[in-house]
Amino acid sequence: MGKTLFEKIWDAHIVVGKESGPSLIYIDRHLVHEVTSPQAFDGLRMNNRQVRRPDLTIATMDHNVPTTDRGLPILDQTSSVQIKTLEKNCQDFGIKLFDINSPNQGIVHVIGPQLGITLPGSTIVCGDSHTSTHGAFGALAFGIGTSEVEHVLASQTLWLEKPKPFEIRVEGKRKNPHAVTAKDIILSIIKNIGTGGGTGTVIEYRGEGIEDLSMEQRMTICNMSIEAGARAGLIAPDEKTYDYLRGRQYTPKNYESLVEYWRENLKSDDDAKFEKQFTLHIDDIAPQVSWGTNPGMTCDVTETVPTPEEFSKGDSNQKKGAEKALDYMDLEAGTPIEEIKIDRVFIGSCTNARLEDLIEASKVIKGQKISSDVRAMVVPGSQMVKKQAEEMGLDKIFTDANFEWREAGCSMCLGMNPDILSPGERCASTSNRNFEGRQGTGGRTHLVSPVMAAAAAINGHFVDVRKMDLS
Amino acid sequence: MKGNVIKYERDNIDTDVIIPGQYLKVHDYAELATHAMEGLDPDFHSKVKEGDFILSGKNFGCGSSREHAPIALSHSGVKAVLALSFARIFYRNSVDGAFLLPIEIEEDAYNGISEGDEIDIDISKNEIKNLTKNQTYKMKPFSEIIGKIIDAGGLFNYKP
Repeated sequence: MGKTLFEKIWDAHIVVGKESGPSLIYIDRHLVHEVTSPQAFDGLRMNNRQVRRPDLTIATMDHNVPTTDRGLPILDQTSSVQIKTLEKNCQDFGIKLFDINSPNQGIVHVIGPQLGITLPGSTIVCGDSHTSTHGAFGALAFGIGTSEVEHVLASQTLWLEKPKPFEIRVEGKRKNPHAVTAKDIILSIIKNIGTGGGTGTVIEYRGEGIEDLSMEQRMTICNMSIEAGARAGLIAPDEKTYDYLRGRQYTPKNYESLVEYWRENLKSDDDAKFEKQFTLHIDDIAPQVSWGTNPGMTCDVTETVPTPEEFSKGDSNQKKGAEKALDYMDLEAGTPIEEIKIDRVFIGSCTNARLEDLIEASKVIKGQKISSDVRAMVVPGSQMVKKQAEEMGLDKIFTDANFEWREAGCSMCLGMNPDILSPGERCASTSNRNFEGRQGTGGRTHLVSPVMAAAAAINGHFVDVRKMDLS
Repeated sequence: MKGNVIKYERDNIDTDVIIPGQYLKVHDYAELATHAMEGLDPDFHSKVKEGDFILSGKNFGCGSSREHAPIALSHSGVKAVLALSFARIFYRNSVDGAFLLPIEIEEDAYNGISEGDEIDIDISKNEIKNLTKNQTYKMKPFSEIIGKIIDAGGLFNYKP
């Protein structure tokens, strides 16, 4: 019987173990950031251990860095300590660090691909759940906790149980690919399979609707695999993948011979067996807006906020969850999504802060001003994205519309730096999680695509971007 | 292992409500514990006692990879979380650092156990006894490797 792409990568990385059961898996790349690593380095020191492969370990600071002028001191003392701690740890253990002043600094999942560190067929881990992003390149990439970070630092391996392969086919063609985006595809998938739909699996996204996507759009898809509960999500590499990585700063010297090998080997066999399957037809899908407090609580922009009964379909826990979500979000069932007014707009995060995201959002706002009731910010995913956007004049388009144009970092995706919502504020956000308090205590998050966020900024409420000319 | 149950009758309790992002800079575990479950239940810190268990629905611990989540619960006194299912990173974090036991249960235990019930978890028999109601439920057994890591007292003590 044939193997899936995931199984091929898994089997190629077994150090110890059988085909079924737990295996010690070799890790090709370990990405490190300031929040989930300090205790891991402390653990190494306590046990007199070294970093096994500093050359395969890359660090940056993204979670709590301020997104204001980099020349200013960091006012939050605890953030400052975490950032300095990472600097010291990288120095002590010989790890390459893209620090706060580096032109390569940025969200770890944005810089990995940009620098050519993310490679097809490799295993990639990071103490961050959105590591699944790198799966867009045909890598097996997943988030780990701090104990596992320490284990990888010390041994370059992890003890893992083999997840099951899950095939998600995305079929058809979007009628308006500028208005209906990769974000709408992945939110539609999660809406259908649920936030636990991918538990225990590695998703392989396949089909025409995936092949049509650019690399940056594929990253948006794989990024949110974790929101469906999956261990990881990946997409078989193709010529778009190889073209994207060619000639980047850390792309290996023998790249073309690697590409030849990948072309031959990195795809699921025709007779491979997936344990689970789901198909989404995208010909007629609409822009998506989350209304609740998990990413599965999402509907079309043209719909109304559902009643807990409609949402839960007879499941009592789902019903309770929806009731609590409506209360927290201060929404009444039956409210048209397009009538929901917003206070804030956040275009950023490892889901949607790459160059294409900013280009698409800029088309919506060019020559316009944001609503006087709205405060809006753009936080580029990396300093490199920021620089490229500025070279194209995008910063001017955003600032002319009264958007704030910020330095790179995770920012308001998770409320660890000063960029947070005030209690009760409602935000159209391009990030990945609408959990209670995620963007600040009492803050209310609606997950949308960059074009939907931009349109909401202009109008002060959600609008169907399919009505706009975005070509 | 005996203790009383704090029950959250809902699915998808995420790590952002278990320990909100602004506390991920806190390295003092005792202080971290004072903010456990703050996003969901502001009374949690005052009501939780040493040796308590949490009981909840599906997909417990979904979201972020923060190990601060099981640490905050563990340093609040929570010895085990019983849930219909767990998000994988939370599950492994709980076991790897020997913070608490993540115990997968079936519907009978979820429906049968109420807030405040005293239960006795016997891992060797994969059994949960409800001492308050005099009922017994099965727990799903740990996989081979998870069982061994638990027995060893965490990932770094585990020797294959």
